[in-house]
Amino acid sequence: MARVTGEHPPGTGSKGARANEMTRLRVMIAEDSAVLRAGLAELLADREHQVTAAVADADALLAAVAADPPDAAVVDVRMPPTHTDEGLRAAVALRRDHPGVGVLLFSQYVETRHAADLLGGPAGRGAAGVGYLLKDRVADVGEFVDALARVAAGGTALDPEVVSQLFGASRRSRDLDRLTAREREVLALMAEGRTNHAIAGQLVVTERAVEKHIGSIFSKLGLPQSDDDHRRVLAVLRYLRA
Amino acid sequence: MDGAAGAMNGAMTAGHLRARGRARRTAWRVLREPFTRRAWAEFGYVIIGVPLGVAGFAYTAVSVYTGGLLLLTFLGLPLFAASSAGARGLGAASRGLARGMLNERVGTPPPLRRRPGFLGWVRSGLTDRVAWRARAYQVLKLPLAALSFYAAGITWAGGLMSLASPVLFDVVHDTVRDHGVVRHTIGVNYGSFHFDTWPKIMLLVAQGVVLLLLAPWVVRAMVAMDRFLIRALLGPGSLPERVRELEHSRALAVDDSAARLRRIERDLHDGTQAQLVALAMKLGLAREKLGADVAADADLLRARDLVDTAHQTAKDAIDELRDLVRGIYPPVLDSGLEPALATLAARSAAPVELVTNIPQRPSPAIETIAYFAAAELLTNVSKHSRARHATLEAVAVPGLLRIRVIDEGVGGADAGGDGTGLAGLAERVRTVDGRMEINSPRGGPTVVTVELPSHA
Repeated sequence: MARVTGEHPPGTGSKGARANEMTRLRVMIAEDSAVLRAGLAELLADREHQVTAAVADADALLAAVAADPPDAAVVDVRMPPTHTDEGLRAAVALRRDHPGVGVLLFSQYVETRHAADLLGGPAGRGAAGVGYLLKDRVADVGEFVDALARVAAGGTALDPEVVSQLFGASRRSRDLDRLTAREREVLALMAEGRTNHAIAGQLVVTERAVEKHIGSIFSKLGLPQSDDDHRRVLAVLRYLRA
Repeated sequence: MDGAAGAMNGAMTAGHLRARGRARRTAWRVLREPFTRRAWAEFGYVIIGVPLGVAGFAYTAVSVYTGGLLLLTFLGLPLFAASSAGARGLGAASRGLARGMLNERVGTPPPLRRRPGFLGWVRSGLTDRVAWRARAYQVLKLPLAALSFYAAGITWAGGLMSLASPVLFDVVHDTVRDHGVVRHTIGVNYGSFHFDTWPKIMLLVAQGVVLLLLAPWVVRAMVAMDRFLIRALLGPGSLPERVRELEHSRALAVDDSAARLRRIERDLHDGTQAQLVALAMKLGLAREKLGADVAADADLLRARDLVDTAHQTAKDAIDELRDLVRGIYPPVLDSGLEPALATLAARSAAPVELVTNIPQRPSPAIETIAYFAAAELLTNVSKHSRARHATLEAVAVPGLLRIRVIDEGVGGADAGGDGTGLAGLAERVRTVDGRMEINSPRGGPTVVTVELPSHA
């Protein structure tokens, strides 16, 4: 069982993610559509994770987490009563009050403002133990469960659409223009919170090539190097959102 | 000479004849008038007018007085609003009566457009010009009805009584002893002039005839005043009033359609979109279960292919539906214009700098129009301007919202050009009395400004 205590849980990095994949997670679901709630529960059970609670609104979620904190919570942004951003606000509260619980927000639409609120100020907890995905990603079961495991372990899982909007809203567009197309791809995947291994798999290159690209990116953008996957995600996101 | 004289004579005679003919027709008309339908209808109207006038006045006075008294408490305002319906009803009844008895056709004033909610109903009732004008009519009608009744009474009843004085003289008379002479007299007298002889009774009869001949004209004059009041107070109202009414209706229509779009988006999100995601989830699971084992039988391989395709189709459907719904109403707009524009700017192909200052939110319908205006303008920047950078400004001042998109592209945009959607945007902006200004010289920077009122 992966219990996360701080920003640097043991076993993160490329190996850690794979190990966590096999571990049984305790997960809570907050989703007001009954069909989706049931579907998610089934999906998680299929992967042998334990669903400790499945609730339909934000207050119930906060109460359940307070009573029995899980490893991670999967939360819909839009929930009753107003169906605007209850889930988002619950997620922000959870991250503040229960830093050990990974929060995976999902939504039909990715909104720049929601991402900003979720990731907090540039000096805050940033992207530790947080995810923000489009609901479609649930359809790719393996990827979704991967993302959940990453978040439960204190890592990051941002939808490519979120990263794309971060790039779009960033004031650093001129600096980013200095990167090659390939480097931009690698940067985007890094911002999603993926490991070198995963990036290499996605782009169909070797891990070594990925490492070289990353080195080049960091030096071009003037970012501090780090072996820790997690730290570098924070660095990239801080950079983009400055 | 004879002919000329004869002609002149003829002319004079013809003129005389015409004048005589006219005089005869007029005399005939006057004589006939008391027996016409119009005279009797107007007389009946005046008679009915009294009890109706009293009732209408009583209702108006009581409702206004009670409402006014209760203004100190919470009940006064709703009471006023409720009595508006009654006032309108009375107005409609008066109009109907006038139409039926007087053949006076006055157009129906516009119906009450209610604002939603309880407070909205109270407001609508209080500001209902039609109801207030109807109340004014009921108030003015009472004195007019009394006066008309009096006038009709004197002329008609008085005339009939006078006409019947011979009979009265014979049957109902007073006996007066005057200097030892017994005389019969009738009760009527003008000062010391008593009607005690037959010739004097004939005078009374003549008076009766005159009164009866006058009666329909007097009544007509009274009723004419009523007609004037009806036309002035119970009709559709002056042109500026009608324009205000129309503006009000339009605002309600605009708000209503914006609310309807939001409901559609909500239903799609909660229903169809959720179901599609669940479907894709199940197909994803099924895909896994069918395994990646290459050495499987043909049926299994085929099944896997089918599920694969179905899975991809479901994902594509989710994507398409999302784009479609975003084009109907982006849900983040519920939280305000700023977050919605933030996402819009971030998703734009060209880098867009966002500047917003909206201290007070405009109405939802205006926010929707402003959002789609910004979306249209940013799309144009990406598609046509070839600019490497753009700025989106959204600034609110009291009563007004201004959206401005500036880009350093090739310029040349105009509202007539097809493919830019600027013409359609201009139409939508005009619907709420907004303004659109395009400043786009060839080669130069393009500045498009859209100004909208804060409420439709």
